[in-house]
Amino acid sequence: MTRKATKPVSLFISKSHLTTESNKTGSWRFLRPRYHEKTAPCSVACPAAEDISRIELLTTRGLFKEAWETILMENPFPAVCGRICHHPCEKVCNRREFDEAIAIHTIERFLGETAARDSLKPSLERSPARKQKIAIVGAGPGGLAAAYFLARLGYACDVYEVMPEPGGALGWGIPSYRLVVAALKEEIARIAELGVGIHCGKELSEEFLAQAKNSYDAVFLGGAQRHGSRLDIPGEDSISVKDGLAFLQRVKKGDTPTLRGTVAVIGGGNTAVDVARCAVRLGAKALIVLQERLQDMAAFENEVRMALEEGVEILELCRPARIDTANGELLLTLQRMKVVDVDAQGKAHVSPDAGKTEAFRISRVFKALDTEAAEPWMNLPASDKGVLALPNTRLLRTAQGLPVVFGGDLATPVKSVSHAIASGKEAALALDVLFREGSDAILPRLTACTIGDGRSLSMEVYIGGPRSQRSSHVVRYNEINIDYFQFTPRIAQPRLLKEERIRSFAEIDLRISSNLAMQEAGRCFNCGICNQCDNCRLFCPDLAVKREKSPRGRGINYDYCKGCGICVKECPRNAMSLEEEKPE
Amino acid sequence: MKRVLEGSDAVAEAVRLAKVEVISAYPITPQTHIVERLAEFCANRTLNARFLRVESEHSALAALIGASSMGVRTFTATSSQGLALMHELLHWTSGARLPVVMAEVNRALAPGWNIWADQTDSLAQRDTGWIQLYCETCQETLDTTLQAFSLAERVNLPVMVMLDAFFLSHTFEPVDVPDQDTVDRFLPPFHPRFAVTPENPCSLSQMAPPNVYMEMRHSIHEAMQQTLDEFAAIEEDFENIFGRCHGALEAVQCEDAEVILVTSGTITSTARQVVEELRFQGEKVGILKIKLFRPFPVSLIRQALRCAQKVAVIDRNFSFGASGIFAQEVRAALYELAERPTIFGYIAGLGGRDVTSDTIEEIYRHTRNHASAEEESIWVGLHEVDHAIGNR
Repeated sequence: MTRKATKPVSLFISKSHLTTESNKTGSWRFLRPRYHEKTAPCSVACPAAEDISRIELLTTRGLFKEAWETILMENPFPAVCGRICHHPCEKVCNRREFDEAIAIHTIERFLGETAARDSLKPSLERSPARKQKIAIVGAGPGGLAAAYFLARLGYACDVYEVMPEPGGALGWGIPSYRLVVAALKEEIARIAELGVGIHCGKELSEEFLAQAKNSYDAVFLGGAQRHGSRLDIPGEDSISVKDGLAFLQRVKKGDTPTLRGTVAVIGGGNTAVDVARCAVRLGAKALIVLQERLQDMAAFENEVRMALEEGVEILELCRPARIDTANGELLLTLQRMKVVDVDAQGKAHVSPDAGKTEAFRISRVFKALDTEAAEPWMNLPASDKGVLALPNTRLLRTAQGLPVVFGGDLATPVKSVSHAIASGKEAALALDVLFREGSDAILPRLTACTIGDGRSLSMEVYIGGPRSQRSSHVVRYNEINIDYFQFTPRIAQPRLLKEERIRSFAEIDLRISSNLAMQEAGRCFNCGICNQCDNCRLFCPDLAVKREKSPRGRGINYDYCKGCGICVKECPRNAMSLEEEKPE
Repeated sequence: MKRVLEGSDAVAEAVRLAKVEVISAYPITPQTHIVERLAEFCANRTLNARFLRVESEHSALAALIGASSMGVRTFTATSSQGLALMHELLHWTSGARLPVVMAEVNRALAPGWNIWADQTDSLAQRDTGWIQLYCETCQETLDTTLQAFSLAERVNLPVMVMLDAFFLSHTFEPVDVPDQDTVDRFLPPFHPRFAVTPENPCSLSQMAPPNVYMEMRHSIHEAMQQTLDEFAAIEEDFENIFGRCHGALEAVQCEDAEVILVTSGTITSTARQVVEELRFQGEKVGILKIKLFRPFPVSLIRQALRCAQKVAVIDRNFSFGASGIFAQEVRAALYELAERPTIFGYIAGLGGRDVTSDTIEEIYRHTRNHASAEEESIWVGLHEVDHAIGNR
């Protein structure tokens, strides 16, 4: 085939091979974008200040060891917390306003389990050895966390525990359907590997505190709350009225008596819920007697929901009035309560509704009331004088001048495993500052390590890791560019069926696959941190965002950045900021 | 292979066969079927092209200007308001001499809101430097789209292929869809005369001061002039390979015609029936179908119309304050002739109103029965309206 020959078509255009780089268009800029990582709300809510958005980011990429180490930076108990932490992080997850919160605790547990399955050894930095030694009283989560962080800061620690095994309530109290013993043991072993001496079965007395000055430079007192308070009602001393904590302890040891009839559990905290759920597993019907309203119950919402699923009944606004024994059965008389006032926090104040009582035939009563310190000398000092009050600890000096930190359930505002861990970390950092810079430096140094506008302290910020570069601005939902996200349902935590649950003490929550974990972590907005999505570079109309060999992988060439702000706008997760250019 | 396709499908098949590399478009009725089909081709890998979804027609064309500058074959489709929104970049495309091909479904401009056939949208863009081709049938649409790529790339000018809304875009007709090997013989891969590539970094379309700007404009004009020959050459190749062609113009029974109807688009098909019927009645009438509107083929038009006594130009478009746009152009083309026919301008079928055989016969008879044309365009089939509506 031949085409008709035509003369060349006229083509006169402007085209240049000269570089335009000499025109430094960055001089036109009056706004300046910069990479500016910020704080995710979840990490503020986490008492242990875990870097959750980064944990999810690493999990998405299948970097499970790195993700696990990111937890370990702030919390020695990923496998434990993944199971039993009440995950306040999820309540403030920005993704809730989009579809559903990220299943942060499910991913944490997955990482903890993956590390155990693959026998991973963390590679965490440790500070050079320091000369001070610290004694820790109580091998609960608070004491063990204090030892863990102190050891990483270079201090020698000895942990003393009355019970034969370390772990505190995690070991003897939390039922195994929530926390398997193996998971706890592995995490404690890792703390011991740091060189922490854990001495169990030790009698501890006030004398110990007095003597400690001879061998130690400071003492941490963590927890040991075992004796429940009294109901102070007729019939309380009946043989069928038991202590809830003692019951849990017995069940955890493997002593599983058969229970019949209805057992009443007095109290509204997590212990009450645990007791009731154990009683259901042992064959009884369980009735929780609650003085306040159901919505004011102190127990964590998720635990209450699971208990109700398992058939536990909750009787709200009732207070035990007397217990009578008749024909081997108990008659529990309850005084009805009425709401007299609702405070600013929405919590009801109640008082007896005169004349209204009700009696129940029951087989047994478990008391699960507020606990108090095991020994009087472990109680917080009555006076605030000379006491440095921190969010989760109190620091003071003994008569002998020895610094003592009260932590764990003795001092935390919420009795939870993660608050106990927070108190251990707070104590470790406070003591390190005290030894290095003196007591006046404690508050300012710790305040500088607070995450966002919250109260949680970060070890990584304290030791000057990359996280210390982040702004404390907490990313809000309206700062997320949701155009880059799609509605995706949250992972459904696989669980034993209700019928299977109430027949045994087998762990309820089942493990998830790595695929599911990566998928769920991929839902995370990664609020405030760069996940190298490359939007800044792709959208830059001036090619002023360049790839470079830095951890972030990209940087801004201010010679040509005109400050249009597109990169900041298109950053899905608010990891950049646009600021007014300051004249030089 | 013969298939029954709507005009939108015919365009999409041609784009697939042309192995376009980058498509960018924004949906607008009645063009949407074209890009929907192309999106499917891209998704199922029938066509290995990047389909860029954008937020507006302005961005659609901007994206193609970028892609085309890098020397790849590009396509977009739009209609009416969408084309109007592209206006700024229409000038840019031709000024930058980029061979972008566009399917433009002729639809009325709002308000009043109207999605039906009307040519004013594309004719309003006649001065933007785009080659304009108006199609009559689905087959012609497929063939013209293929030719458009060849033409655009040979003259370095963008090409607009026009289809009447619904009458063509949504009407099914038997279409011969050629196989890929045959199309490859007609349309080789695009070898750009200039391109920005990472290997050949350069800047294009930068500042052109008064000492060169005029020459650049003249170069576009020259390329437009050369388009007439290039299009003829392309049609010849096309006919050699596919056995059919449609012509920049088509004269139907014009040799002895006393009255010639000038048409474009789908009105032509109806006119063919009317002319056949009138010829049967002994009337000396013919049709001149104008397909190539830019560049306007002046000498071909003079040749086709010079012997007629009267010419009736049917415009499905209007330039306010003037007349039908084809009529203006035809008048201007014939003005220099020493002896020229009387030219009648008729406005019909705006906003999708049917131009039936009765309408065309009425136009013919009005032309035949009047010795001289009015100055004003004649609006055919106007209804009585209540002008007081706007005051209520």
